[in-house]
Amino acid sequence: MTINKQEKITGWLLLFPALLILASVFIYPIARAFWLSWFAENLGTQLEPVFTGLTNYQRMLGDGRFWQSLFNTSIFTLISVVIELLLGLVIALVLNKSFFGRGIVRTIAIIPWALPTAVMGLAWAWVFNDQYGIVNDILQRLGFIDTGISWLGTPTLAMAALIVADVWKTTPFISIILLARLQSISQDLYEAHTIDGASPWQSFQQITLPLLMPQILIALLFRFAQSFGVFDLVQVMTGGGPAGSTETVSIYIYSTVMRYLDFGYGAALVVVTFLLLVLAVAITFWLLDRVRSYT
Amino acid sequence: MFIFRLFTKIKKYLATFSRISRFTLLLTATVLGIQFGILPAFTQEPITIKTLIRADEVPQFQPLVKQFTQQNPGINLEIVEAPNDSNQVEDLYTSSFLLGNSPYDLVYMDIVWTSKFAAAGWLRDVSARFSKAEASNFLAGDVQGGMYQDKLYRIPFRSDAGMLYYRQDLLKQEGYEPPETFSELIQISQDLQQKGLAEWGYVWQGKQYEGLAAMFVEILQGNGAFWVDADTLEVGLEQPEAIEAVKFLRTTIEKRIAPPGVTTYAEEESRLLFENGKVVFLRNWPYVYSSALTSSVAGKFGIKPMVHGIGQESAACQGGWGLGISTSSKHPDAVWKMIEFLSSENSQREFILETGFVPSRKSLFNDPEIVAKYDYYPKLLSVVEGSTLRPPISQYAQASDILQRYLSAALTDEMSPEGAMKAAAAETRRLLKNN
Repeated sequence: MTINKQEKITGWLLLFPALLILASVFIYPIARAFWLSWFAENLGTQLEPVFTGLTNYQRMLGDGRFWQSLFNTSIFTLISVVIELLLGLVIALVLNKSFFGRGIVRTIAIIPWALPTAVMGLAWAWVFNDQYGIVNDILQRLGFIDTGISWLGTPTLAMAALIVADVWKTTPFISIILLARLQSISQDLYEAHTIDGASPWQSFQQITLPLLMPQILIALLFRFAQSFGVFDLVQVMTGGGPAGSTETVSIYIYSTVMRYLDFGYGAALVVVTFLLLVLAVAITFWLLDRVRSYT
Repeated sequence: MFIFRLFTKIKKYLATFSRISRFTLLLTATVLGIQFGILPAFTQEPITIKTLIRADEVPQFQPLVKQFTQQNPGINLEIVEAPNDSNQVEDLYTSSFLLGNSPYDLVYMDIVWTSKFAAAGWLRDVSARFSKAEASNFLAGDVQGGMYQDKLYRIPFRSDAGMLYYRQDLLKQEGYEPPETFSELIQISQDLQQKGLAEWGYVWQGKQYEGLAAMFVEILQGNGAFWVDADTLEVGLEQPEAIEAVKFLRTTIEKRIAPPGVTTYAEEESRLLFENGKVVFLRNWPYVYSSALTSSVAGKFGIKPMVHGIGQESAACQGGWGLGISTSSKHPDAVWKMIEFLSSENSQREFILETGFVPSRKSLFNDPEIVAKYDYYPKLLSVVEGSTLRPPISQYAQASDILQRYLSAALTDEMSPEGAMKAAAAETRRLLKNN
């Protein structure tokens, strides 16, 4: 089947409005950030742009706070996404089996995903409170600790608490995506495989996992991008503290632009973060492509 | 369909009048329309001024606004409700100014926004409208907090200052006077804790946020140290007195006078511990007083200015809210009228009686009506009068973040007090030099 030129032009014309919207919402802002990152525009310049070349990028190299926030964000993203994927897969497999009350359990399982992050963040902050928090209460009753642990007041524990809260909230998202695919895998495949003498574990490895791969990668992509831009959860639970140990890149950018009114430097931060994110997404797509051609 | 039927009905009804009376009807309607609809629009168009206020404070403003519109029929005040979080209000004001042509005429602002907003050129200079004699009626710190580079941009409305709450009953029981110095506070706390009278000795705000900087200003000044001198841009954070201040806070954690989680507490967490009777001393703002009156420690606590180092004076961090005129406002005179009205003695008295906030006019602390309702206000005056500003520099938000991060590192034992303060001072100097 060939498409003639006329039809191609009509196609582009029909696409044009959508492309225009995409360009104004995605391309314009990032292009403007690129442009602005070459200027100094802050309270010192009376908020007027003054061309400074690469100064902003130079400053970023020596900006410990930026590198620390980038490190924090990477740690947060990597650990939480991996745990979410594993848990999400297990939950999806369980929910795929038929058992009594499956409908209700499925509904309950999605609730954390439906809650507003800020509200849930506040609740988790109280869960990890050192005096009134339920975590310390349980540990004390079980006799593991004598006095309450200051979860959100210790750098590594605060990061752990954030990851726990994030995993709790977003695991349902991954399980729903995986569950949708699981339901469309024909039972015949498993039956035939079993007749051939395969164990359940072999079926999982040789049928379920390869067929799930595209969904897993899509879920990973979504979660990776979201997790890298995490803001509300951190803002509510720790505000980036203690000692900046949970400050993420998006929180730092927000402070630079909205609170310090340092637009030039903020734009440079946006550009570098954007490029890193594009790189990560490109790698994921490359993997996705390879898996597709493989299956 | 319904409207169509209504029209035919009216038409039929009008047809029952004679042609002349129909004409008179039309004429009267036109004349009335011109008289009440069109003419007023040309002659005295009512001015609408707009402001943005935290939603939880809006009802408290309503009675005053009503009075004002009765006295000034030509001016309407439209209040837009903002979220109940000062940071978000600041963000909303900031973005409206950044986008240009801000809809807000009257800016209801926290004291720490002054320098930034003024430096960005978002506020009108009101120095000429506010005489020195008038200024002397207000608390000095509140007026000072409205200045940027010797010009006034903000008129104080309600004040705020940090202070020390203490358990009067426990101190009396053990024969102690309220503490004056840091070491007395530590000693009393330890004694009462050992006797099992209270779980914790002293609770403060140790979370990494603006409240940490506010609290630290009091300890710094009480030790004879300073943060940033706004005139000379000198930074004093790594001086021995400043390091002493950090060590005092660390001591309260190390000696278990403060709960380990104090490094995660903001105002509310610390208030709850005090109100549940678990703590002897609390550093907080005046709002806790009225709230504690309905808690289990009602009638058992007192207030006093913050403790200080030996041979030093106590310090209170100056907070509070005031009123400014935005540069983009087209009706600065009307806005000024509103500001004058709101900050007047009568308005403030009414507002304070209603809300229990702290006035910015000195005379009101001893006002008979107010004292009849809040008997602790004369005492409050001594706290508020000794208040210290956070550095009035345009890069305050950034300087505060630097201090918060390093102080938080020192408090959570990530860095030594010396190392943290040295790094904070160096970074602050770089910031001040860059811009």
